[in-house]
This record gives sequence, structure tokens and C-alpha cells, in this order.
Amino acid sequence: MLLLQNISLKRSNIEIFNDINLSLSKGKIISLKGKNGSGKTSLIKIMLNLLEPTFGTIYWKGKNIKKNLYSFYDQVTYVPDKTTSLKNLTVEENIKIWKKISLSDIGNSQITNILKTLKLENYIYKKVNSLSLGETKKLELLRLIIENRKFWILDEPFTNLDTESINIMEQTFDDHRKNDGCIFFSTHQRTEIGITDEIIL
Amino acid sequence: MINFLKKLIYFFYREYKLYLSGFHSVLTMITFFFVAIFTFIFSIGPKDEILSLLGVGIMWTLFLLSSTLSLRKYYQEDFENGNLVLLHLRGFSYELICILKTISHFIFVQIPFLIFLPIACILLSISIDKVYYIIISFFLGSIILSCLGSISSSMNLLNNRNYLIGSVIVIVFSIPVIIFSVGLIGQYDNFNSLINILFGILLITFAINPWASGACLKLAIENN
Repeated sequence: MLLLQNISLKRSNIEIFNDINLSLSKGKIISLKGKNGSGKTSLIKIMLNLLEPTFGTIYWKGKNIKKNLYSFYDQVTYVPDKTTSLKNLTVEENIKIWKKISLSDIGNSQITNILKTLKLENYIYKKVNSLSLGETKKLELLRLIIENRKFWILDEPFTNLDTESINIMEQTFDDHRKNDGCIFFSTHQRTEIGITDEIIL
Repeated sequence: MINFLKKLIYFFYREYKLYLSGFHSVLTMITFFFVAIFTFIFSIGPKDEILSLLGVGIMWTLFLLSSTLSLRKYYQEDFENGNLVLLHLRGFSYELICILKTISHFIFVQIPFLIFLPIACILLSISIDKVYYIIISFFLGSIILSCLGSISSSMNLLNNRNYLIGSVIVIVFSIPVIIFSVGLIGQYDNFNSLINILFGILLITFAINPWASGACLKLAIENN
């Protein structure tokens, strides 16, 4: 469904990566590995049309993504490597804002169950700036469930997570794949997920 | 269409929550405004004639300086924590984000100022018949300042080294606004023409703002 063709990126005349071809479709989990500065985040930004590649084209459902951009965005949840939760608001307020802005129809009971699974239920009325890094990361990943989109694009999703939370995430990834979802993520860590493709930059 | 309108409402809900959680900074700006007025009163002296003559000019200058204090509230936080990208991915174009942010800034930062203006008028011994004209001029002027603030703070995202440059840009481009707004008070014969000029400036800045700010946001996100 999403096709990257001959993508190259140069910055300040330095080649970051060259001739990347990639297709994301239903039921795939693709991991992106590479050293620091190898261009993992840049490739993700190119996929999301936030950064213009030096060369190459991206197609979404057979059309150039630029002509079809918001249809693509309607199908994507992106979790960046930094904390996007609003730190001065509570966990509950953050969830409410995400839910409303993404016009999600997910029920409150479902969110409560996920919060329990992630052991965040006691933090619901606490401000995000009082959470630990790991708890904040779990809150970020909760957006994947709230937004309920087919394509998940994640930048370093396992950073700051403990083993138990990583296991839960791996299970969630697997369930999403089985439901015809597609996941693309960059990572430094080894994972037990059934990765269908691996790209090394 | 209904979904789009819902998204707009929820955007304002988000902004409302953010401004409410950081309302102390709006209060700080209002406090700055009043403390500066008192400083002027103490330095000029308590003579009513002098205060009422200089009052409108003082209020406009301080209003402008106070507004520059709020520039950081515009895009910087949402840019740094990646929320601008997330909003864009949720279907808000960069231009639409700029328009909505400008309206939010006007509602949540400038309107609290406008509410306190009559008190400032009393402190500066400005006669009650002028207050109506002052409020009209500040109302139009504050929307223009919100648009200029949006442009300069989006430009600031491209320039991490010197944040004050945004304030300088706002002050420079606000000079015509101040000239016509201050001129409006006491020029009751030319009131309509001066209001039209101010309204014209407002339309120009409102039209330029989304394109200029949107382009800056796009570039800043690309370069981040």
C-alpha cells in the first residue's frame, strides 16, 4: 500500500542513504536498524512526507503520496522518539485530547483496561511531568490503541521500557499484524517480534 | 465536514487546556503591563493632564512589549515536543495550524488584556469618553499583533540562536499599527478612515500569516 521507490537523501552534500526501496502492506512488521546518525529518523520523516528526499518517490495506494497525503495520514499513527504528551496536563487530559483530535471511537472501558495492563491506572489523574521516562513512553504507545489506525510508524518504541512492558508491546504488535495492520519501527534493541523484513542503514 | 468542524473544536479545546495550565504566564504578562504603567506614573509624575496626554501612547507601547513576552507560547513548545508534527498528521495543514494558533492566541492571551484595559485607562487618567475608542483600536490592534507574533515566532523556529529577533520583528512591523491606533484617539472626525486603515492592515496580516508562518513551520520541521 505504501511504496518507497529509489529514495535517497543528501544533507549538506553528505549522502545519508541511497536507493532505498521498500513496501509496506498489510500484515507486515518491518524493523529499521542502523547506527546513530545513519538516517533512521530521516527515513521515517520521508515516509511521512515531513522531509523531502533528494531523489525518489513515495506512492500511497498507487498514487504519488503528495496527491493523496491526507488519505495516508488518516491511516497512520506515528510515535516519535521524543515525549509528545503535554507535560503540564494529566494523563487523563492527554488521553482525552488524543481521542478527540483523532476522532477515535474507542470506549473508555477499553482505555481503562489498557491502562491497567500497562500499570498506568494509578497515574490517570497525575500530571505527565510527574511520570518516569518509562511510564511516559507507555503513555505515548497508548496512542497506537486510541487512534486505531492500520499503519504504525514508530521511532525507537522500546527505549526506556522494562522487559515486561516490551513483552506487552511485542504481543500488541503481533495482534496488530494479525488484524491486517502494518508496523514500521526503528530500534537498537533485539526483539522477539515476528519481523517480516529488516532494513539496515 | 462535521468531522472537520469537530477537529477544529477539539483543537481549541486542546489550546484552552494548554493556556489554562500555563495561565500564570498570561497573568505575568498582565502584571508586567500594570507594573510598567505604575513605573511610568512614578517617573512622569501624578499630573492628570500629562498622563491623559501620554496615556494612550504608553498603553500601546506597553501592550506591545507585553505581547512580545507571549511569543514563546505560540509554536516553540509544540515544536520541541513533536506535537506540531502530530497535529499535521491528524489532518491539520501547516497553514490551518497557524490560523488556529493565531485565533487561540487572540482569545487566550489578548482578550484577558483587553478586559483589563479600562483599569489601565483609569490609572492613566484617560477620560471615559475615550475608552470606547481605545477598546476598538486595541481590539483590532491585538489581532494584528497576534498575526505578527505568529509570523515572528514561526521564523524563530528556524533560528535557535537568537530568540529576541522575533520580538524585534514584531516591534518593527507594529509601528504602523501604533501610529494609526494612537492617532485614532482624539481624531473623531477621521475616525472612520483611520479605522479602515487599521482594518486594512488587519486583513493584510491575517492573509499573509498562514502562508508565511506555515512555510516556516514546514521548513523548521524538515530541518529539525
